[in-house]
Amino acid sequence: MNSKSPTRASELAATFALFEIGSTSLFLIGGEVRQDAWLSMLIASVAGLLLLLIHLTLHRIEPQLDLFQIIQRYSGKFIGGLISLGFIGYFTLEASRNLRDIAEVTILTLLPGTPLWSVILIIVLVVTNTVRYGPETLFLMCIVLFPVIVIGYFVILILLAATGLLQFHFMLPILEHGWKPVFKAAIPGILSFPFGQVVVFLVFYPMAATRRGMNKMILLTYCGISLFLILFNQINILVLGPVLATNSSLPLLQAVQLIQMSEVLERIDPLFTLILFLSLGVKLATFLNAAVIGISRVIGIKHKPSSALIGVSTYFLAFMSPTYTEFIKVGREIAVKYWWPIFQILLPVLLLIVMIIRKQRKKGIN
Amino acid sequence: MFIKWMKQIFKPARSVTKRQKQHQGETPEKKDRHALPSSFEQNVGMLKSKFGKSPDFVLNELVNPKGLTLSAAVCYIDGLVETVLLPDLISAVIHLLDNEDSIQDAARSASEFRSMIPMGNVQSLSTEEEIMRAILAGNVLILLKNNDWMLGVGISGGVRRSVEEPTSQTVIRGPKEGFTEELSTNLSLLRRKLKTPALKFEQHIIGTYTQTRVVVAYLDGIARPEVVEEVNTRLKAIDTDSILESGYIEEFIQDAAITPFPTILNTERPDTLAGSLLDGMVGILVDGTPFVLIAPVTFFNFFHSSEDYYQRYDISTFLRAIRFVSFFVALLLPSLYIAVTTFQQEMIPTTLLITLTGQREGTPLPALFEALAMELIFEVIREAGVRMPRVIGPAISIVGALVLGQAAVQAGLVSSAMVIVVSFTAIANFVIPSINMASAVRLMRFVLMLLAGTFGLFGILAGLIPLLAHLVSLRSFGVNYFMPYAPYFKSNMKDLLLRVPWWAMKTRPNQKSGRNKFRQAPNQYPTSSDEAGVYQAEDKPQNKGN
Repeated sequence: MNSKSPTRASELAATFALFEIGSTSLFLIGGEVRQDAWLSMLIASVAGLLLLLIHLTLHRIEPQLDLFQIIQRYSGKFIGGLISLGFIGYFTLEASRNLRDIAEVTILTLLPGTPLWSVILIIVLVVTNTVRYGPETLFLMCIVLFPVIVIGYFVILILLAATGLLQFHFMLPILEHGWKPVFKAAIPGILSFPFGQVVVFLVFYPMAATRRGMNKMILLTYCGISLFLILFNQINILVLGPVLATNSSLPLLQAVQLIQMSEVLERIDPLFTLILFLSLGVKLATFLNAAVIGISRVIGIKHKPSSALIGVSTYFLAFMSPTYTEFIKVGREIAVKYWWPIFQILLPVLLLIVMIIRKQRKKGIN
Repeated sequence: MFIKWMKQIFKPARSVTKRQKQHQGETPEKKDRHALPSSFEQNVGMLKSKFGKSPDFVLNELVNPKGLTLSAAVCYIDGLVETVLLPDLISAVIHLLDNEDSIQDAARSASEFRSMIPMGNVQSLSTEEEIMRAILAGNVLILLKNNDWMLGVGISGGVRRSVEEPTSQTVIRGPKEGFTEELSTNLSLLRRKLKTPALKFEQHIIGTYTQTRVVVAYLDGIARPEVVEEVNTRLKAIDTDSILESGYIEEFIQDAAITPFPTILNTERPDTLAGSLLDGMVGILVDGTPFVLIAPVTFFNFFHSSEDYYQRYDISTFLRAIRFVSFFVALLLPSLYIAVTTFQQEMIPTTLLITLTGQREGTPLPALFEALAMELIFEVIREAGVRMPRVIGPAISIVGALVLGQAAVQAGLVSSAMVIVVSFTAIANFVIPSINMASAVRLMRFVLMLLAGTFGLFGILAGLIPLLAHLVSLRSFGVNYFMPYAPYFKSNMKDLLLRVPWWAMKTRPNQKSGRNKFRQAPNQYPTSSDEAGVYQAEDKPQNKGN
C-alpha cells in the first residue's frame, strides 16, 4: 500500500529536459566562434546524440541495473568501487558548480551585497531537502515545473520577437573562418557541457516502469531540447550581437532586461531569474540524487544520512574557486576539456566494450 | 531535524505499554463478557445496579389487565426510544404473555418468541455486554421469567435535528439537504442517491466509552479493493476511549502526520459524497457528526465544489480558474508585495512606484512588519468573528473595519496599499471551498512572508520549492497528492482545472478507481434539434396555428 508508485517514462523525460536546460541558458555556449555558435552547438548535439545512444545501449544490456551496479558487476569490487567513487566525485563536483552558479546569479541579480556563504547555505538546504525525499519526488516535481518553465521561456521568446529586439543580421557572416574553429569549439567543449552531462541519467533509467517507450521518449526529448537550447543560445547573439554576447557574463538575462513593457512591468528579468533558478535547481538536485544513490550503493549508507553527507560536501566544494572569474575559467575551459570527458565519454565507452566482450564470452561458453 | 524531533515527541506516547495495558483494563468489554443468570429477579437486579440511580432509566414490571404480575419487564432509556411506538409494544407483549400463559413455563427458545413480537428489528441478547450496548443504542429490552436471554427491540428515536441545508458548504444550484448527526439518517440519505446493491456499508464500533458507530461506505467494483481494505485495517487499529467527531478518525488514519495539508476530505453534502463514491473514493461516516470523511483525495479535490458538476461546464471551468488564482493570491500576494517593495523595486512601473513610495513615506515600520501585523490583526478579527455570539457581530465589524483599517491608515501607521493587499488576500482565502485547505494556506502564508522579508523573491522561491516537494511527496491511501498532474494522467485532466461537459467525461480518476473505469457510453454529443428533425415534425404546425 505504501510502496511508491513506479516512475513513468514521461516523468523521466521531463526531468531530462529540465536537466538539459539547467544552467545552459545562463551562459553563451560556443562564444569563441561568435555568430556561428549555433553550428558548433548543432555539431556537438549530434555528437551528444551518439553518446546518448552509447548510454542507452549500456542501459539496454543491463536494464535492471543502475550505473553503479553495472560498474560493480563488470569491473569487480575494488576497481568498480574506485570508479564508482570517481563518478560520485564527478556528480558532486558538477553539483557544487551548479550551486555556485545559482549563488553567483542570485548575488548578481536579486540580492546584491548578500554574503555568498548565506546564499549558498539556503540553496543547499532547499535542494538537499528535495534530495531527501528520493529521486521519485524530484521526477514528480519536474512534471509540475515543466509547464511553468516551458511557458516562461515561450513568453520570453514572444516578447523578444514582439518588441523587435531580434536582429537577424547578427547571424551573418556564416562560417567566417571556415569549419575548423566551429568543430574545435564543438568537441569536446560543448559536447561535455551541456550535452554529455546526461551520463548522470544512467543512474535513473532503471527506475522508469514502462521501459518500452522510454528509450524513444528520451531520444525525442533530447532532440527537442537540443533544438531549444540552440535556439535560445542564438537568441543571445541575435539580441546583443556577437561582441556583447561574448563579453556579457549572463547574456540571456541581459537580453531579457532589454524587454520593456512600461505599462505592465518595468523589468521582467527578476521573474525570469526565478525560472532560471528552477531549471538550475533541477540540475543540481539530479546530480545530488545520483551522488547520493552512488554513496548508498558503494558504501551502504541509507538515503537520508547520505544526502546530508553529500549536501555538506557540496556546500564546501562550492567555495573551491575564490572568485567567480576563476570559477568560470576552470569550469568553462579546463574542466569541460580535460576532466568531464573521462566520465562522460571514456568510462562509458570502456564499460560498453567490457560488457560486450563479457557477453560474447558468455555466449561462447553456452 | 524538526520532523525527527516531532516524531520523537509523538512516538513514546504510543510505545508506553504500561499505560496501554492500564487503558485496556478499564474497558467494559473485557470485564463484562459473561452470560446472564436465568433468574428474572437477578437480571432485574443487574440492570438496576448498572443504571438504578439514573433518572432516564425506566424499568416497568408488567402486569396483566386483571392485575396479576407476569414476571416480565420492559426496560429502556428515556429519550433514546421512539415514545410513539412504546405503548403498542408494551400492550402487544402483555397481550402475548397473558393469552399464552404456558409460553413462559415451557421456556420456549428465544428465536420462537422473537417472531411473535410485532416489530421489525428484534434480537435476542445473551451477554451483559450485548445488553448494555443494545439499551444504550436505543433498544427496548424485554425481560422474561426464568430465561437466560432478553429481547432487544430496536425502536430507537428521540429528539434529533432534522435534515437541513448544510451551513459550511453552500451552493446556489444543487440539492439543499445536508447530513445530520444521526448515522442512520445519513446512510439513508446516501442510499437514496445511489440505488444499487453495489453500495456497501461496513461498520466499526470505535471508542471504549463513546462506542461510536463508524461506517465505511463504498461502491463495490468502482472503489479499489486495496483502498477499502486499507481503510478498514486503519480503522480497526484505532484503540481510543472516545470518538466525538470525524476529526478524531481523520487524525488517526491519515497518511502523513506532520503536514498542514489535509489528505482526507470532509463534506456535509450527500451529493458530494455520492459523487466521490462514483469516482472510486471511500466514505467514512461517523455517528454524531454531519461531517463525512472522503479518501483517497488529491490536492485538487479541495478546490472542487459539487456545484461545478451542476452548472454549465464553461462557467464551472471559469470558476475553477478563479479558485486556483485565489489560491495563489492567498498564498503569495503579501509576500510578493513585501519582496517587490523592499528588494525588487525595479519591477514596478515608475508611476506606481511613486504612488507606493509616497504612501510608505510616513509609515514607521518596514513592509515585513507592517504586513505581519496587519495579517495577524486580520486573523484575530476572523477568529473573533467565528467564536463570538451572533449579537455582538456588528461591533466587531465596526472595530475591525473602521478602527483597525481606516484609522490606522489615517494615523499614518499603515500604508493604505498594505490594507488593500491584506484584505484582498483575506477574501481570496475564503474562495477556497475546503476550510482545512484554506487554513493550511493561511499558515504557509506567514512562512512565505518571513522569507520574502529576509531574502525577497529568492526567499519566496526558497519557500515554494520545499512546499512543492512536500506536496508532491504526500500520499492519501496510496494515491499521489498531485495525482493527475504529477504523475501525469491525460484522461483525468478533463476534471482538474477544466471541467469538460458530462458527455465527454468518459472515465473515472485513474489511481482512485478500481476495475470499472468507464462512466458512460461514448458518442453522447448532443444532437441539435435541426439535425434531429424535431423542428419540422412538431413545431411547424404550431407556428401555423399562431
